[in-house]
Amino acid sequence: PAGPGGVAVPRAGLKKWRLPPDYSGITIPEKPKLRFIDKVPAVPKVQREPRRLRDIRGPSQVATDFTQGQYGILALGGGYLHWGHFEMIRLTIGRSIDPKSMFAVWRVPAPYKSVTRKSLGHRMGGGKGPIDRYVTAVKSGRLVVEVGGRCEFGEVQPFLTRVAQKLPFPAVAVSRESLQEMRREEEQKRLDNQNPWTFERVVTSNMLGMRKYLSPYDLQLKGRYWGKFFLKHRV
Amino acid sequence: WLPALQLLRRGSKAVTRHWKAVPFPRQKLLALTEYLPPRPALPPRCLPRLAPRARQEDGYARVLRGQLEDTLRASRMVAVCHYNSMADEDVATLRHFLRRHDIHVKFVLNEVGLSLTGARGVPGVSPGFWGIPGVPGLSPGQQSLPTGLWNSVPIPSSRFAGACIDDTILSRQGVENFARLPSLEVSQGQTVAALSLLSSQTSSLLQRGPAHLTALLDEHIRRLRDTGGATEPPPGQSAGSR
Repeated sequence: PAGPGGVAVPRAGLKKWRLPPDYSGITIPEKPKLRFIDKVPAVPKVQREPRRLRDIRGPSQVATDFTQGQYGILALGGGYLHWGHFEMIRLTIGRSIDPKSMFAVWRVPAPYKSVTRKSLGHRMGGGKGPIDRYVTAVKSGRLVVEVGGRCEFGEVQPFLTRVAQKLPFPAVAVSRESLQEMRREEEQKRLDNQNPWTFERVVTSNMLGMRKYLSPYDLQLKGRYWGKFFLKHRV
Repeated sequence: WLPALQLLRRGSKAVTRHWKAVPFPRQKLLALTEYLPPRPALPPRCLPRLAPRARQEDGYARVLRGQLEDTLRASRMVAVCHYNSMADEDVATLRHFLRRHDIHVKFVLNEVGLSLTGARGVPGVSPGFWGIPGVPGLSPGQQSLPTGLWNSVPIPSSRFAGACIDDTILSRQGVENFARLPSLEVSQGQTVAALSLLSSQTSSLLQRGPAHLTALLDEHIRRLRDTGGATEPPPGQSAGSR
């Protein structure tokens, strides 16, 4: 129905309009899409390297915070990313972002670690197998990709969660605010825990001789990690 | 070179693809050191709920409310109806019909009306004064409403809620009674006539004739003597009868 002045008056109620977000400080780099990642490094390794699975274990010390973008994929477990994963991420994100207003950035290096595999059907022995492929090690708590630009989390979250589900380790799409919220909640949980006995306390003071049944790495891991898995529910 | 400890020959390494079985002492330790959330003495659902924060009013809502206030202040008679969706052409027809009788139709949102009268609306009037969604307010002009108008207004799907005429809130019966009252000129004439009746009667009496007047006076004196009161023939009458 036309109200005063001939303007249509809404029937169900007034819509509350919120201000559009401020994108003043955002610059989109020249190449907004993710760069191509090689299957094999430029200088392939001659000597086969030992397995060194400790590069999967425990929390990550690098690439834990945002640098350029506002949204990203956070790894919640350890694992190896190989070229197939990189291509999947590159193509999915390249298809989903708008290069004029959004950009994406890699936060993991190209595959550098050689992984060997013995040919199928042979018995044990006969030396180490030849190099099968190259992989990148990812620890839990590390950002894999970052996305930024003139967009909101709601626009970016669908395709980031789709990419996160396809990764070999559990991962989740995060924004700066949601990551901060996650860290804050973790800290709050640690502070208001009513249990006087914590894993950390028991291990550091070796109560009941528990260190006989635990690994020396549990001093740093504090019961939150088991192998490559990150136990989110533990305090 | 053989490792000093032959422990690695059995089982798998520390980091595996699969979920390694957790040894029992470690399981016991993990169960012991679980997170216990804080438990307040009173659960929060037993505590009184915090007062809701004052909602920030929308600028547009404020403008609409100002317009409504101006309308109510400007017009002496306001009638409020419940509006349910009607066809657009019916709405236009109704507006034209009412405009011919100098009645302006304005559509008011529930939100805006409630913010003006408070959350519970106006007591005493049918519970829809501002409580039903999409209430239009009719603001008639300065003159009073013709009697037969409400019967002929074609509002099939609207319900009359109440009216505010000269700062008095009336229900449907009140408005009907108000409409049946005689118009202002008629009532003014009646009042003037009633007030001036006595003086007109007196003037006509004086113009009749002296014999009639003396007869009336004698009658008056006799009546007074009968009742036993003091007789005081008005001096003006006797002077006029000469």
